[in-house]
Amino acid sequence: MTLIDKKLLNKILYHVEKPGRYVGGEHNMFLKDWHSVDTRLALAFPDIYDLGQANLGLSILYELVNDRPKLLAERVFTPWHDMETAMRENRIPLFSLESKTPIKDFDILGVTLPYESIYTNVLNLLDLSDIPIRSAQRDTSHPLVIAGGQACFNPEPMADFIDAFAIGDGEEVIFEIIRTYQEWKSKNLDKNALLKSLAKISGVYVPSLYEVSYFDDGSIKQVGPIENDVPKTVLKRISPTLPAPIKKQIVPNIQIVHDRIAVEIMRGCTRGCRFCHAGIVNRPVRQRNPEDILEAIELGVKATGYEDLSLLSLSSSDHTQILDITKAVYEQNKTRRLSVSLPSLRIESFSVDLMDELKDLRPGGGFTIAPEAATDRMRTIINKPLDDEILFETVETIFSHGWLNLKMYYMIGLPGERMEDVEAILETARKVQQIGKRLRGNRVRIHVSIGTFIPKPHTPFQWANSEDPESVQKKIDFLREGMRQSKIKLSYNRPDSTLLEAWLSRGDRRLGQVIEQAWQNGAKFDAWDEGFQKDCWYKAFEEAGIKPDFYINRERRLDEIFPWDHISTGVSKDFLLEEYEMSQRGETRLDCRKGCHVCGILDCFSDIRPNQQDIYWGCP
Amino acid sequence: MSVNPITPFRVRIKFAKLENLRFIGHLDLQRLFERALNRTGLPLRYTQGFSPKIRINIASALPLGFISRAEVLDFWLNAPVDLQEILENLQSALPKDLQILDIQEIPNNAPSLQASVKSSEYSIIIPNTYAQDDINTKLRNILDLETIPVERRGKIIDIKPMITTLYFYEEGDSTILHLQMDSSATNNGRPDELLKLLGIDPADVIIERTNLVFEE
Repeated sequence: MTLIDKKLLNKILYHVEKPGRYVGGEHNMFLKDWHSVDTRLALAFPDIYDLGQANLGLSILYELVNDRPKLLAERVFTPWHDMETAMRENRIPLFSLESKTPIKDFDILGVTLPYESIYTNVLNLLDLSDIPIRSAQRDTSHPLVIAGGQACFNPEPMADFIDAFAIGDGEEVIFEIIRTYQEWKSKNLDKNALLKSLAKISGVYVPSLYEVSYFDDGSIKQVGPIENDVPKTVLKRISPTLPAPIKKQIVPNIQIVHDRIAVEIMRGCTRGCRFCHAGIVNRPVRQRNPEDILEAIELGVKATGYEDLSLLSLSSSDHTQILDITKAVYEQNKTRRLSVSLPSLRIESFSVDLMDELKDLRPGGGFTIAPEAATDRMRTIINKPLDDEILFETVETIFSHGWLNLKMYYMIGLPGERMEDVEAILETARKVQQIGKRLRGNRVRIHVSIGTFIPKPHTPFQWANSEDPESVQKKIDFLREGMRQSKIKLSYNRPDSTLLEAWLSRGDRRLGQVIEQAWQNGAKFDAWDEGFQKDCWYKAFEEAGIKPDFYINRERRLDEIFPWDHISTGVSKDFLLEEYEMSQRGETRLDCRKGCHVCGILDCFSDIRPNQQDIYWGCP
Repeated sequence: MSVNPITPFRVRIKFAKLENLRFIGHLDLQRLFERALNRTGLPLRYTQGFSPKIRINIASALPLGFISRAEVLDFWLNAPVDLQEILENLQSALPKDLQILDIQEIPNNAPSLQASVKSSEYSIIIPNTYAQDDINTKLRNILDLETIPVERRGKIIDIKPMITTLYFYEEGDSTILHLQMDSSATNNGRPDELLKLLGIDPADVIIERTNLVFEE
């Protein structure tokens, strides 16, 4: 182990913006003796500290690993441009925040891949660590590079760079990976031996052990393992019950996004919105009990000193005990100075009741709702039904219960969308504004946020075409003009900047060379508004001889083999296809708590379903 | 929030800011102390007003990158608590690079720290990568100057009147520079500005605030 030259590091820290990003030393940080443990993990979030430190998954793994006496985990993030330049100029390799050890000296590097636009940063992170970026170039002298996170459900674009992917919940599989690593290391075998034993762990995907062949039109002919004892399909892992809450959440010394206590109250969602990746890949619904939620809050407040708390889930209103939870959270914290936010509420008056239960713990600021689409036809297509009457009634309740600011999320570019569906967004926003003004006068502020729909793998819309940026831009222009006239705030992504996510989310492993080339051309921090450099990417596609249109500008054949078909979320492709066809026929499907639609989840996981009554799974 | 009728218990701590924490700025430090105090479970006193905050008063902002063993902070409690108990409790709630050096009770009507801080003493270790003779000559020349103009946020200001004391000596390979400069709200001397005039990159030296001087 070599340590970073502290003197040199301090010198460069003196000149960079927000040096607090690179020093660690926070309350609740683990700093274990390097030599007292058997295996050392570096946990990476490939963006700056300010974003990465807020990642709940990473914080859970960090604590789980460090709770074991013979293991240690340290954190690493991507340096911002100024720091990267200074590190490269001074030949300082990327190091961990805790012990300032070069990343290349760790046994295992675990990378979080929450979304696709972070991929070039992964390459940059490896390169800054003096670790070869391609898996094939790394041997036993380099750390094993594993990845997890929501983007890994289509691991193929990153197949060339990651040794092994952990698909699904990581809380259990991380230890199986470590154990396999330790056994391998004790035997002094080559790297291929390690990869083969990793592939035997349920939920672990080792891309180099699979071969892909293609038809002339570029679509996939076949995907399969190159060896007999490697599984044809990798089924994701799930934690049958939610992991215990974090006991000692790190309290950052500098301000970060979501600078608060986060308590996950439920994982998964039963609603079945057809555009929603998280709703499919996180099935089944698993709830945390009210008592455990209260305990998590108590631990969180005492361990962090935060005065803000967020109860996280994909759909808070759907927790079967949500009313009891809000009441109990109020009782628990009424004498404390704690602001409790409860995001992801359904559009119904009950949501306002829930917020009322929190009384003075309710955070200041606005109320947020997500109708996603503004016409019945469109809402049927996406399977998120909502009566306008209920929407307006809810809005009335929101304003009459004291809120002045209302934020509404919509999507455009959805399959089958017509201009009238976009016009309806404007009309709805105007009506909502009128309701607000009638009840609360001119202080009412409406904020409409528009997201561009991107078809995601493992969703019913995985066969759909994505709308071209020019046509999306026209819709945005229309909304911008209309909202401006009505003094309604509008925010949206530049349609260009969603291109990358569209290419990569349904990409295959041939995109590896495009990602590498784009990074060589200077692409990084693509997720940042000012970061995405279209030219780097177009040039990379050209250099790789691959047409970007193949990935976005075509409707997929119904029998097409997708690059991610050998990764299973537990939800069957047949079910997704049925959903896609129902969508085209204008049919909706009920929340699956009201009756099982046989999506496949129970077939895959019924054997690990807890039989205790008090552990709730959303499946009937 | 109703006004608390109890006379507040005002506590003053002297603390060191070292190592990693040198790179945490003043506002972040303020927030860090709020959360640390919150973790102690002490009966904290809050500011009045629309959005009450834990009442904290840090004497003087320490520039980013400086270390110090002389920082001073006041906070207020709603009830008296044993000082040793506060010290132990707060120290365990702080990151290890913030160390409490001293704790005392202060009369509630004592003047505010920020209003009474007058100047700061600094000790600066200049390594031998800068030629000692050259530095010594430059320092002597600076002492003889009538005015020492530096640019600060687009304006030229004279830092000469802000320097109360300046002396230096050689110790082994390094030059040790002792400096006392104004630290009041209106006149805030920055040793790094002086270093730049000497052709020294402040990043190459260790600047430590060794004392805060208050009005009697």
